[in-house]
Amino acid sequence: MVLGTYKQITLGRSTDKEIQKISQDGGIVTALLTFALDEKLIDGAVVAGPSDEMWKPEATVALSSDEVMAAAGTKYTISPNNWVLKQAVRQYGLEKVGIVTIPCQTMGIRKMQSYPFGVRFLADKIALDIGICCTENFPFESLKTFISAKAGVDFDLVEKMDIGKGKFWVKTQDDLISFPIKETHGYEQNGCKVCLDLVSEMSDISTGSIGAPDKWSAIQVRTDIGETVFKQAVDAGAIELKPIDEGKFGLEMLTKLAKSKKEKAMKEIDRRKAMGLPVPYKGSSEKEDPLANV
Amino acid sequence: MSEKIVISPTSRQEGHAELVMDVDDEGIVTKGRYFSITPVRGLEKIVTGKVPETAPVIVQRICGVCPIPHTLASVEAIDDSLGIEIPKAARQLRELTLAAHTINSHAIHHFLIATDFVPENLMATAINSVSEIRKTVQYVVDMVAGEGIHPSDVRIGGMASNISELARKRLYARTKALIPKIDAHVDLIVGLVADKDLPAGLGVTNAPTLATHHTYGDRTKFDLDRFTEIMPETWYDDPEVGKRACSTIPLYDGRNVEVGPRARAALFGSYSGEGVVAQHVARAMEMKTNISKVVDILAELDTSAPVMADYDVTGTNKLGIGAIEGPRGMDVHMAQIADGKTQFYSCLVPTTWNIPTMGPATEGFHHDFGPHVIRAYDPCLSCATHVIVVDDEDRSVLKNEMVRI
Repeated sequence: MVLGTYKQITLGRSTDKEIQKISQDGGIVTALLTFALDEKLIDGAVVAGPSDEMWKPEATVALSSDEVMAAAGTKYTISPNNWVLKQAVRQYGLEKVGIVTIPCQTMGIRKMQSYPFGVRFLADKIALDIGICCTENFPFESLKTFISAKAGVDFDLVEKMDIGKGKFWVKTQDDLISFPIKETHGYEQNGCKVCLDLVSEMSDISTGSIGAPDKWSAIQVRTDIGETVFKQAVDAGAIELKPIDEGKFGLEMLTKLAKSKKEKAMKEIDRRKAMGLPVPYKGSSEKEDPLANV
Repeated sequence: MSEKIVISPTSRQEGHAELVMDVDDEGIVTKGRYFSITPVRGLEKIVTGKVPETAPVIVQRICGVCPIPHTLASVEAIDDSLGIEIPKAARQLRELTLAAHTINSHAIHHFLIATDFVPENLMATAINSVSEIRKTVQYVVDMVAGEGIHPSDVRIGGMASNISELARKRLYARTKALIPKIDAHVDLIVGLVADKDLPAGLGVTNAPTLATHHTYGDRTKFDLDRFTEIMPETWYDDPEVGKRACSTIPLYDGRNVEVGPRARAALFGSYSGEGVVAQHVARAMEMKTNISKVVDILAELDTSAPVMADYDVTGTNKLGIGAIEGPRGMDVHMAQIADGKTQFYSCLVPTTWNIPTMGPATEGFHHDFGPHVIRAYDPCLSCATHVIVVDDEDRSVLKNEMVRI
C-alpha cells in the first residue's frame, strides 16, 4: 500500500473564511489545530511559525488559535519542529501537544515514542501528529537561490509559493511565475533522495494538495486518535468534506506520485548501499515489499 | 577482648562505603570508622582546561542522586569567579529547582529507610506517598530546569529560559495541592521514627554543625580560611582503613563537622535535637519548609522577566565559590576562570564532610545500631570520593593534588 495505512481518505477544506484566505490549500492543518486547541483536545501545538525573515519558518510553540493562524501556509524550507518539542513540554508546561510534521519528522516522532531515550516524559505527551504531504524539502539558501535564478524574481517580493501540476509556482504582486519541478532537483536536502514517504504514513492525520482540486486538500485519517479528532472537527462543522475523485486527477495521481517517490528513492538507496554508504533504510533485496517504508 | 565488626558495603545508600567497628564483650561499639570505598572518577580534573560552560554539564554527572545541587554549586562558583550578578527571576528559578529537588531527595531517603521504620501494614501507604510526592516535585524540576535528573537549563549567568505563564499556573496548582500530602507524609515518617524507640542519645556526637543557609546556600557564610583538608592516613587510626579510604577528610576550624538537614535546623531554625532521631525529624521537616518555598516562589515569579545576565567568559582568575545546601548538606564548588578556561576546579561535597563524623557517631551503642546511625546521615558516596589511587595493585594513595587549595 503506497499510501500507508488509513481508515478514511477524503477531500476536505476548512469552513472558516479567515482560514481559507490564508491557507495554502484547504486549510486542514490550521482548521484541525485551532479546533483541537479550542476544544482543549491539545493544550498547545508545535508549528512552523513566522520568523524575522520572510519565508524562513521558525519552529514555534503556539498556545492559541491566533498563533496557529499566524503559522498558516506552506513554507518550502526546513522547520525543525521536533526540536522544540522539549521546550513545549518543559518551559511551556504542555501536557497534550499537537505537532505538524513532514514525513521524516513523523518518523522521528514515532521512533521517539517507541524508544524514548533522551526524551524522558516527553514522547507520552504528544497528543496529535498532523502529517503533511512532502515531495522534498529545501534548505533556506537553496530555496532563495533557485527562486531568484529560475523564477527570476527578488526573493523579498514573493507572496506565495506552491507546488502543483508538476510545477513550482511563485506568485508576486504582479506575476505568477512557474517552472518545472524537475528544475528544483539538486537543490533539495540530501536525505530527501532516500525518503520513501510522500504522505506522512505514520501520522495521525495526513493531508496535502496532491489529488485535490484547488483550495481543497486530500486527507488520510490514519489512527484512532486521528479519527476521534477528525470526526469531532467534521461534526462541529470546522471542516467540510467531499469524496475524493478516484480518477486521474484524484486518488490515482496521489498513488502514482507516492509510488514514483518510493521507486526513485529505492533506486538511490540501492545505489548508496552498493557503494557501502550508510542508509537508514533496507535495500530492495532485504524486504518483501520493495516499496514498504522500512 | 575487643572484636571487629565490618559491614561492607553499608547498604541502602548511594555508592560504596565500609563501616568498621571495634566492639567490646557486650557488643558495644568502642571505635567506629566509616569510609568511602567508591573509586575516584576525577571529574574535577576533567573540567580543568576546558571552557567554563563545560563544568556544570560534567560535574552534574558526579551523581544521579543529587545532580541539581552540583549543577547549582557549579554555576554559582563560576558566576562568582566571573563576577556575574544573575537576574532576580533566575535566582528564583534556581531556588525553586533546589527546593523541589530537596523534597524529592528526602522522599527517596524515606524509601531507603522504610524497612527500618515502616511496619508491613503501612509499607504500601508509605511507598505510595513517596511516589506521589516525587512525581510532582520532579515535574517541577523537569519544567524549570529542563530535565529532572541532569538539568540542562541551569546555566552560567542565570537560566536558559523562563517558564511560561501556563507552566507557572499549572505548577502552582499542583504544588499547592501537594502541601496536605506532604504534611501527612511528614507526620507518618516522624511518627514511625518515634515508634521505633531507638535508644536515647543514639548518634549524638560532639561534632559542630556546619551550614550556610536554611534552604538555598550562601557563599559568604563559608569561610575558606577556616577549611583544611587532611589525608585519610592521618585521620584514621587504623593504617589499613587509611590506605583503603577513597576520600580526603575535610575539617572546619580543624574539626570534623556534621552537615545536612539537622545542621541547617540547628543553625538557622534553633533546633536543639541531636542524634539519629533528630536527623530524621529535621529531614522530614525540611520537606514542609521546601514545599512552602516552592509555592511561594511560583506565586511571585514574573514569567516575563529576563533570566540571563550578560557576561564575559574571559575571567580574572578569581577563586569563585558556590555554596549550595544540598539535601545531604553543604555542597561547595570552587572554580577559577581565566583566559576563557577553567584553571582550577574543586568540589567539597556534603557526604565528604559527614564521613569522619559518621564513624564516631556509632560509638557507645550496640553495633546493631551502626547501620541506623549511618543511614540517618543519608550518605551518598559517589560525589564524596576525591583522591587518586596510584597503584591499582596495592591501592596505595598518591599525595592528593586534586583538591589542594
